[in-house]
Amino acid sequence: MAELSLKNVVKRFGSYEIIRNASLDVADGEFVVFVGPSGCGKSTLLRMIAGLEHITDGEIHIGDTLVNDVEPADRGIAMVFQSYALYPHMTVEQNLAFGLRMTGNPKADTDRRVQRVADILQIKELMQRRPKQLSGGQRQRVAIGRAIVREPRVFLFDEPLSNLDAELRVQMRVEISRLHKELGTTMIYVTHDQTEAMTLADKIVVLRGGNIEQIGAPLDLYDNPANQFVAGFVGSPKMNFMSAEVTATDSDNVTLTLLNQGNVRLSLPLKNPPPAIGDAVTLGVRPEHFAKAGEGVADLTIAVDVAEHLGNTSYIYANVAGGEQLIIEREESRNEIKTDTLTVAIKSSHALLFDKTGNRLR
Amino acid sequence: MKSQSRSTLVRSLALHAVLIPLAIIWLFPLWMMLVFATMPDYGIFSPQIELLPSTHFLENLSNLQADTDFIRALMISVSVAIVYTILSVLLTSMAGWALARYQFVGKSLVIAIILGTITLPYFVVVIPQFIMVAREFKMANTWIALIVPPLFNSLGVLFMRQAFSMMPAELFDAARVEGVKEWQIFLRIALPLARPTMAALAIILFLASWNNYLWPLLINSRPGMLTAPVALGTLIGLTKVSWGGIMAGAVMLTAPILVIFILLQRHFIAGIAAGAIK
Amino acid sequence: MQLRNRAAYGFLAPYLMIFATFWIWPIISSFLMSFQNTRVNPWVFSLGANWGRLFNDPAFYNALKNTMIILIVQVPVMITLATVMAVLLNSPLLKARGLFRFAFFAPVVVGEVAYAAVFRLMFNLDFGIINKLLNSVGIPSISWFAEAPAAMALLIIAVTWRWAGYNAIIILAGLQSIPGDVYEAATLDRVSKARQFIYITLPLLKPIILFCVILSIIGSMQLFTEPMLITNRGGPGGGTETLGLFLYRQGFTSLNFGYASAIAYTMAALAIVISLLNLWVGRDQK
Ligand SMILES: Nc1ncnc2c1ncn2[C@@H]1O[C@H](COP(=O)(O)OP(=O)(O)OP(=O)(O)O)[C@@H](O)[C@H]1O
Ligand SMILES: [Mg+2]
Repeated sequence: MAELSLKNVVKRFGSYEIIRNASLDVADGEFVVFVGPSGCGKSTLLRMIAGLEHITDGEIHIGDTLVNDVEPADRGIAMVFQSYALYPHMTVEQNLAFGLRMTGNPKADTDRRVQRVADILQIKELMQRRPKQLSGGQRQRVAIGRAIVREPRVFLFDEPLSNLDAELRVQMRVEISRLHKELGTTMIYVTHDQTEAMTLADKIVVLRGGNIEQIGAPLDLYDNPANQFVAGFVGSPKMNFMSAEVTATDSDNVTLTLLNQGNVRLSLPLKNPPPAIGDAVTLGVRPEHFAKAGEGVADLTIAVDVAEHLGNTSYIYANVAGGEQLIIEREESRNEIKTDTLTVAIKSSHALLFDKTGNRLR
Repeated sequence: MKSQSRSTLVRSLALHAVLIPLAIIWLFPLWMMLVFATMPDYGIFSPQIELLPSTHFLENLSNLQADTDFIRALMISVSVAIVYTILSVLLTSMAGWALARYQFVGKSLVIAIILGTITLPYFVVVIPQFIMVAREFKMANTWIALIVPPLFNSLGVLFMRQAFSMMPAELFDAARVEGVKEWQIFLRIALPLARPTMAALAIILFLASWNNYLWPLLINSRPGMLTAPVALGTLIGLTKVSWGGIMAGAVMLTAPILVIFILLQRHFIAGIAAGAIK
Repeated sequence: MQLRNRAAYGFLAPYLMIFATFWIWPIISSFLMSFQNTRVNPWVFSLGANWGRLFNDPAFYNALKNTMIILIVQVPVMITLATVMAVLLNSPLLKARGLFRFAFFAPVVVGEVAYAAVFRLMFNLDFGIINKLLNSVGIPSISWFAEAPAAMALLIIAVTWRWAGYNAIIILAGLQSIPGDVYEAATLDRVSKARQFIYITLPLLKPIILFCVILSIIGSMQLFTEPMLITNRGGPGGGTETLGLFLYRQGFTSLNFGYASAIAYTMAALAIVISLLNLWVGRDQK
């Protein structure tokens, strides 16, 4: 059990700065998820925590030790890899025990630990098979088992589920969640699947281009994204973004013209120092935050492109001028959405506003 | 449909009409080796066309043994080839592993030197090697002289480096996280996974050592320290010598390696093809 | 991290020591020796002793000429044969594939001394099976060892027998790496088999065949055991003396190390020129 902290961690490959000044505190027993688009540095950050990658600058603490120069094996971590990385020439049992055997752990203790893992993960009947003879889900389970055997203070997962099909993924996700509850160990989990992030995490770290964009609880990020990137990244279907121009401001309000919606005007309360008149801004509204016509700050009339009926809810896709697409979620019965055009209202309470560079204004 | 199977038949006949004579020509020298080796000398030098083996193989062998101590030479050749193969596979695997899986100062220099010099003719180094081993180390006519200098061969380094760099990196990272030492990772994970490549390499190296002629000829010229090819080679061109014996020796040199070839054909061909294509 | 990479030196060191001692240092050493008169004690620097002599030595030109003749005749013949073997072996119509593969590939494993001995016997003037067979179809005996052109032909035949299969293995591997759907597409387009071979197979094989040519040139340039043992030390009268044999004679019979080094570097220079030529031709293709 241990807390973990990163202080101004930097990673450079040659002149490329892959991780810029990352700082993060993880509490003991917390489940932290790193999420971000491909190539943003999630794996690199995780591998630096593991000690597989040297850090260029900054400090990493696990428990109360500075581990910058501590070998991976001595950091009290265990890691599960995307490709499982099971030793192909060893049986499951040998895979689980290999690390302990090589480091001279007493045989009785090794056996006990391996047995316990086999129990926890229900892989007893697989012990004498080789990785080739296992299904994807079974391999993943063994890979996790190999991490548990080490009884680490921190678990590190690098996209452990991305090689599984959709159904297994959900199942394993639940299992990892259960495991976290059972073991109560700190876990750091990398994924680019924001559903995994939302469902598993106590705390999500959103990365982009080597920067930590925001750290927070899943619903915090959902309700209160720090910027346009996070707003767009968290949530599925994605938040709608509409280009707008500031047409008027006063001390508490800002008035916008939606450029691609037939210049609909709306006015929103705004406490922050207001943008200048004429500034380009972006209005962000989640699909479920549209109301019936007349119930919000402004009505939009849109041409329905495609309507997807999922039973409990429906998604309406509309192409708008300027290449924008709107997705609107409607819970009323599917028969009501037969029309070619639809009028919906924007609720001011959930409308977000971003400036040109993506910073949140409201 | 009918005309198609007809043209297939014609093509098949044409194919075999070319290949069968070619194969017979290609097998002919090997067949004659066997024929000569089993024939008494008066049979070899008879004016008749003799195309069938006879029964004098053992007699020929004992004639050969009278001309030179061939049994000892064979024993030396076998031992040298085995020890050389093991050492060379081990050394080049280690080097290939280092060059495939680590970042260190001088790495690209080493690779560049190996690649840049691999096609240099052996004759460029044979003279200094000879001077060094025979004159400076005074090690002519020793086992070490036969085994160690040829270990320079860098084919295995490239071969093994290729094999190791194709293995997924996460495998070794997983072991590192578990506290497995680097040499244990090499021995317990990398080497077992590289077994097919090692087999192909071992066969090629064994063959090279077994058939090696020039270096053993130069460095071990004392009777009693000759390798089998050298012992046999010195007889060729002598006048009073049993040719049946020489051919029996040729069979002794060739037969074991042919058996290995037949048994391990797949590895063998893979080795040659991979060595060439890289 | 840094510590881990330091392990690399441990893995590399044993091989590197041998590589440096028995390969790199000799390469340098023989280069230096080629500029030294090694017949005086101590050796002294001298351009004329080796390089000067080399370019005025009729024996060197003879060896160079013989080597070149062998190269120019043997390599094309062998590579053509090897390509034919590989293409035929790759045919799906072939029966008893294993047997044919054995026939062509077996010579690759036969030692030089063993096959030299067989060829000597087979081509013997009076008792050799080849002349007997020639006589039986009315062709007079050829004195393979006494006449230089015949002796050269014999060497070429021997080397071709031994190495054609080796090249065929490489070319066959290349053939098998051509994806089958290329041919399926061509067949659907009604391209005949013969045209498929000319317009698909050969162009795709070109780099591999080129590679075999280079490998064979460099190999044949170093020809030594065959003229040593089959044609009896380059006989008749130096008629089959190759550069390799000439070097051996100078270096290890006359013990003139400097001169032999100069010969070795001449061979190296030729090899380098040929490799560069290969690079240049390869560049041209793309
Ligand atoms: N050894 C290296 N040398 C140079 N650049 C590297 C190296 N390793 C990774 N990178 C670069 O660092 C960046 C981050 O890589 P990383 O693997 O951490 O991304 P990621 O967020 O895990 O992406 P993914 O979701 O695709 O796994 C990438 O642009 C990658 O190209
Ligand atoms: Mg990654």
